[in-house]
Amino acid sequence: MSIKSTFRTHRTGLVALAAGLFAFANAALAADPIKVGVTIAQSPPGSVSQGTQVKDGVEVAAKIINDAGGVLGRKIELVFEDTQGIPEKTRAAVEKLITSDKVVAIVGEHQSSGALAAIEVAHRYHVPYINTNGWSDAIREKGYAEVFNPGNYNSRVAIAMAETMKALGAKRVVAFCENTDYGVGLAKLLGAQLAERAPGVEYKYETLDRAGKDFLPALLPLKANPPDAVIEIMLPPAAYIVLNQLYEQGIAPSAKTYLYDASGIADYPDFWTNVSDAAKNMLVFGLYHPKMTLPDLGKKVAADYTAKTKNQPSRLLFQAADSLFVVTEAIKAAKSTEPDAMIKALEGLKWTGTRGGVSFSTEKAGYRYHQWLDIPYLTFQITAVKQPIADTKIVQDPGQKLDPARIEKAK
Amino acid sequence: MLTLDLAINGLIIGVFYALMAIGLSLIFGILKVVNFAHGEFYMLGAYAYTLAGLLLGISPWISLPFAFLVGMIVGLIVERLLMRPLYSGYTSWAVMRDEYAVIVTFGLSLLLINLVDKIVGPYAYKGPALVDVTRIALGPVLISGHRLIAALAGIGVIIATGLIVRYSYWGRQIQAVAQNRLGASLAGIDTAKASAIVFALAGGLAAVSGALLANIFNPTPDVGVFPAIKSYVIVVLGGMGSVPGSIVASLILGVLESFGGVYISYQYRDTFGLVILILVLMFRPQGLFGERARDV
Repeated sequence: MSIKSTFRTHRTGLVALAAGLFAFANAALAADPIKVGVTIAQSPPGSVSQGTQVKDGVEVAAKIINDAGGVLGRKIELVFEDTQGIPEKTRAAVEKLITSDKVVAIVGEHQSSGALAAIEVAHRYHVPYINTNGWSDAIREKGYAEVFNPGNYNSRVAIAMAETMKALGAKRVVAFCENTDYGVGLAKLLGAQLAERAPGVEYKYETLDRAGKDFLPALLPLKANPPDAVIEIMLPPAAYIVLNQLYEQGIAPSAKTYLYDASGIADYPDFWTNVSDAAKNMLVFGLYHPKMTLPDLGKKVAADYTAKTKNQPSRLLFQAADSLFVVTEAIKAAKSTEPDAMIKALEGLKWTGTRGGVSFSTEKAGYRYHQWLDIPYLTFQITAVKQPIADTKIVQDPGQKLDPARIEKAK
Repeated sequence: MLTLDLAINGLIIGVFYALMAIGLSLIFGILKVVNFAHGEFYMLGAYAYTLAGLLLGISPWISLPFAFLVGMIVGLIVERLLMRPLYSGYTSWAVMRDEYAVIVTFGLSLLLINLVDKIVGPYAYKGPALVDVTRIALGPVLISGHRLIAALAGIGVIIATGLIVRYSYWGRQIQAVAQNRLGASLAGIDTAKASAIVFALAGGLAAVSGALLANIFNPTPDVGVFPAIKSYVIVVLGGMGSVPGSIVASLILGVLESFGGVYISYQYRDTFGLVILILVLMFRPQGLFGERARDV
């Protein structure tokens, strides 16, 4: 064999080897899952009740996506981090997810203080961040291109509450809010919205420690002269304790005073193990009700969740599922996990999620930036102890005005 | 009427603080160490009471002594395994006994919180009510039925504890050990047994406090942290090791927080006790009922 032919044979072999390696690498790459980071509270003092619902929601969504073949031929892998609802830990968790786990996006945060800490890191690393349930307007007002909000926002609730108080004819309103960005932020917004929409209403709010237990010193001054409505802007477990103590003191709900839950806690799985008579006649700002009409994807998520947990779906379930779905929709549209391509795809997204048509506003104006503005909401009333949400009474249908005639007053 | 409301609420909270603080004070009196895991006995009692009622359907009036028993047993185990080296022949450990006590009780606190978090779960549970009456009117004051009965039960437990410590055979031995461990030992008192009894009693009292409040404060694994901090303040305010001092200081703190929460600021409610603590340490370091230490 001549030198030339030996070289030729070797060259052919090398080319074949290189081609084989390339194909193998491509196959391995194709099989590599796409990692998505999920930050949730799985231990106190954060709301574990919320964290668990979010965890279930993203897991149900991931299974649906992976069962359908994944995205771009790759499976979705969720990487969870427990934040304990503490901003410092949330920041560290996001840093770890981005730098160590190499996630392509982050979803799941359900507390505003955590989201506010997390978006700074996501912004610094230019990684898409889907804010699942941070309601504080401040998250949107930062104007970070990486941050998208398929969840609820404080301005929406504040407007809804102000209109409800006006419809109820309330003259004096007192809010109890937790000492977080979400709680204080919403209480202040409510004041501004009441001043604009119901200027005659006398309003004040009291900030309570979310780790507190005895709230009576804050509640007792209301006994002598109860307001027309008490609004609770708190998360469990403190929210449950406040409800019980309001009821034990005969402050709200009562024949004189409406009780309004602005945080949507009535559909939490542990709600009735912590609150009993205190929740009867309570009005609830609801982002989901079983009587609402859901798109097919929403029905599928609800059914899978109930099969998995034996629990009834909650609004957090849908928010969490949508958070992951929008990430995969963006990857599909961009045909890439590259941040700029994903952000561009998210800005142009027009997609039907679990609760309706989702699109993000690109208007760079305060809370509207990268927000799904048309989130459906309603108001319902709990009319019996241990009542399933499906049996509660809708007093304001989505997109309609509240009808005070439908409300039952406490005796 | 608001004044009366605040006074009654403050006194009731003070009773629950006292149940916690008495145990801490007894431990300090006899071992001269601070138990940083004391709040977790409160948490264990709250869970024992709540889960016995919710899972096993046991009457709250049986769950209450059950919680006390759980607190006592855990107290005994902790004393035997972790605290006894402080005074039972481990001379090298005795050199750094304060450091040892801080580290071991702090570690125990974290261990118990995390164990309960993993085993029972992080969710809140509302404990069963001792009486099925939502509100009771005491003249113009409206009070939850459970809160009132729990406070009365708490007062009963405090009185019983006081009588046992003051007049019973073992109570007198505890007093003797608290006054002078070596002297008591020379007089034939089993100081190790006295210490074990104190730890069991302290654990039981904290557990009962947690159980009585389980219907009001919906226990979570970290529920004992705040009451423990309050107890440290109370023990210093009342005088380290003084049981009557702890009771008076508990009531003072309860009432102060109640009134301060309305007339000063609710948001700074938890700081009132800490301000008092600083003032006491500055101007009367022996506390209200404590004796000034003397070196001879």
